[in-house]
Amino acid sequence: MAKLWAIIRREYLERVRSKWFLIATFLGPVFFAAIIIIPAWLASRSKATDEVYNTTILDATATGFGQRLSVAIAGDAADRKKIPQVIVVAPAELAAAESTATRQVMSKEKVGYLVVTEQTVAGETAKYAGRNASSLPDMSQIRNALRQTILASRLEKIGIDNSRTRELTFIPLNFSTERITERGRGGSGMASVMFGFAIGFLLYMTIIIYGQTIMSSVIEEKTSRVAEVVMSSVPTNTLLAGKVLGVGAVGLTQQVLWIATTYVLLRLREPIMVRLGAPTTSFALPDISFGAAVLFLAFFILGFIFYSSLYAAVGSAVNSEQEARQAATPLMIMIVFAGVFIQPVLLNPTGTTAQVLSLVPITSPIIMPIRMAVTGVPPLEMAGSIGFLVLGCFAALWLASRIYRVGLLMYGKKPTMREMARWVSYSR
Amino acid sequence: MTDNAIDIQGVTKRYAAHTAVRELTLRVPTGSVYGLLGPNGAGKTTTIRMILNIIAPDTGTISIFGTPSSDPKITERLGYLPEERGLYRKMQVRSVLRFLAELKGVRAREADRRIDEWMERLSLKTPEKDWGLAKVDELSRGMQQKVQFIGTLLHDPDLVILDEPFSGLDPVNAQALKDTVVDLKRRGKTVIFSTHLMDNAERLCDSVCIIARGDKVLDGPVTRVKDEHGKRNIALALNGGGMDGIASILRDTSLVKRADDSNRFFEIEMAAGADPQVLLRRVIESGASVQRFEMIQPSLHQIFLQKVSGAAPAGEAAAWAHVEDGMSGHG
Repeated sequence: MAKLWAIIRREYLERVRSKWFLIATFLGPVFFAAIIIIPAWLASRSKATDEVYNTTILDATATGFGQRLSVAIAGDAADRKKIPQVIVVAPAELAAAESTATRQVMSKEKVGYLVVTEQTVAGETAKYAGRNASSLPDMSQIRNALRQTILASRLEKIGIDNSRTRELTFIPLNFSTERITERGRGGSGMASVMFGFAIGFLLYMTIIIYGQTIMSSVIEEKTSRVAEVVMSSVPTNTLLAGKVLGVGAVGLTQQVLWIATTYVLLRLREPIMVRLGAPTTSFALPDISFGAAVLFLAFFILGFIFYSSLYAAVGSAVNSEQEARQAATPLMIMIVFAGVFIQPVLLNPTGTTAQVLSLVPITSPIIMPIRMAVTGVPPLEMAGSIGFLVLGCFAALWLASRIYRVGLLMYGKKPTMREMARWVSYSR
Repeated sequence: MTDNAIDIQGVTKRYAAHTAVRELTLRVPTGSVYGLLGPNGAGKTTTIRMILNIIAPDTGTISIFGTPSSDPKITERLGYLPEERGLYRKMQVRSVLRFLAELKGVRAREADRRIDEWMERLSLKTPEKDWGLAKVDELSRGMQQKVQFIGTLLHDPDLVILDEPFSGLDPVNAQALKDTVVDLKRRGKTVIFSTHLMDNAERLCDSVCIIARGDKVLDGPVTRVKDEHGKRNIALALNGGGMDGIASILRDTSLVKRADDSNRFFEIEMAAGADPQVLLRRVIESGASVQRFEMIQPSLHQIFLQKVSGAAPAGEAAAWAHVEDGMSGHG
């Protein structure tokens, strides 16, 4: 036991202290933060900018329409400075006024100018020219203000007084959106799909990254011939177990750090959003029971044991990283196969495909946690999935340990699949 | 307690294409320095790996100090230096050594004390520079070899197994290794090493075993092995001149059975019943200037060549060529 512990500790400490681990562990949360904050920040960009206030309204209506429009564009912005400037012009002088306004825009004194005429009051045409003409939120705010002002003028014409007009046209509508899926769940359903995707993606990445880490670690020991010294001190199975557990613990550490920082970031999301001036929409984390958390952990550990022991076997059979890349292709195909099904299973977590894939050990460590995140899984299916995965782990470990103990001592040319199959039958 | 550090009984190891070791039986007395000699591919490394329980024999038994080699506890009494050497390159030297010691059941604090002791003894730790804090990568090859010795001996093993320990060593480290082997013997430890460098074996070993193509050719104490091969050898050294004449004398099979020609030095095995005096007379008659003519015990090198080529099934010349190939394979 003490020797197994020594191997686990060496694997763990050497990796946790490495630069690569520190960088990945630090960049992970930055990446997650970006995922959480950037969409909200982009959403906040869909609000009109301050530029709409730095505009000129050329009013050729002679009815004070421009003044009212200016107030409407400013909306509830109480600041006096944040209000478009109104210039009343005679229809005949409009062309000259427009060229003056154009020069002002070109010299960056103003952002743009709006022309309102008789046709505008009639609800027919209005014209805007400016640097922000392509900004959808700005244009939409101006268009809304125009509609509101036109409506107000019409109401006035049929004899509704000024204060009533304001009352009638002011519609501070808060339009909330909610998605309904075939399972009938709305916003919280979306959150759990995101959560399921995150879990699946995390497991997928971790298995690939740390599987290859184990493979490199085995290759290093084999090519540097340290393996032989270690094998003279401990049984090969202990060495293999120590590697899988040590590197697995590194992966687990990284995930725990990632999940913890992501959780903190989600908690801090609202203050961050307020700082960025973005609207604080509620983002409910799906409730994870303690039992579910234990199951997630179990799938991570079992899936990791399954794949990393096979990666270790590949590492022991080859003589260099280059050979390993080629030899590990079948494993990579197995994992990518599971990865390809992440999205289909998210969309249909109770279908036959999802059910079958969560029973096969090759895919179940990734597929089953996704299903657990987005839907309820019957206990029998859960038991079957874990049962088969445990059997798969035993099979993978048995196969790996037999290839491993022979492969580590074989140097020279890369073995063929047939030779590796023969190694399995060697006594030792 | 038994008198034998290693007792190998009828061990065979087969691989798919060939038999690496065939019916090997040998005993290594406790406290001796034992040489395992043979050309490349003779089965030395396979034998060593079986002693260390890295691989298991197909048939036969191996016991170490009276305990089956498969007993996990026995590994803590063994120290092993493999033929191809290497360490974890990215690790700190001290961490590597501590790790290797822990695998042999040495506690961290005790390991630290011994690491300091060894590092100072092999001048890897001086008041100016402690290489223990450097990464393995940063050490020169010679220093890495020293670290590897330390790793082999840190847990004070009773049986030290060195596979081709002299290959790739610079002269300074080779001398340090010889000193260490002598020191280990003085302290009652058993040392077994494989080599194809007969000079080293002859000087260091109490007993030897010669194996070729998986078969044991001979074994026993070096003195007995040499006695058994009699005083039938002549050491002949020339001062130059008359080389052509010598060559024809050496080809006379009624007089010379075998000669090892090193240009100016010859080790000659007399043919059965031939008289060394006749040989001396003919050499002088050929006009050569004789510097040395001595009846000697055959060197281990001679015995090795004779025995290994004798074991060859496919004609002597081919076997000689094979052996010489094997010998030049390593430095």
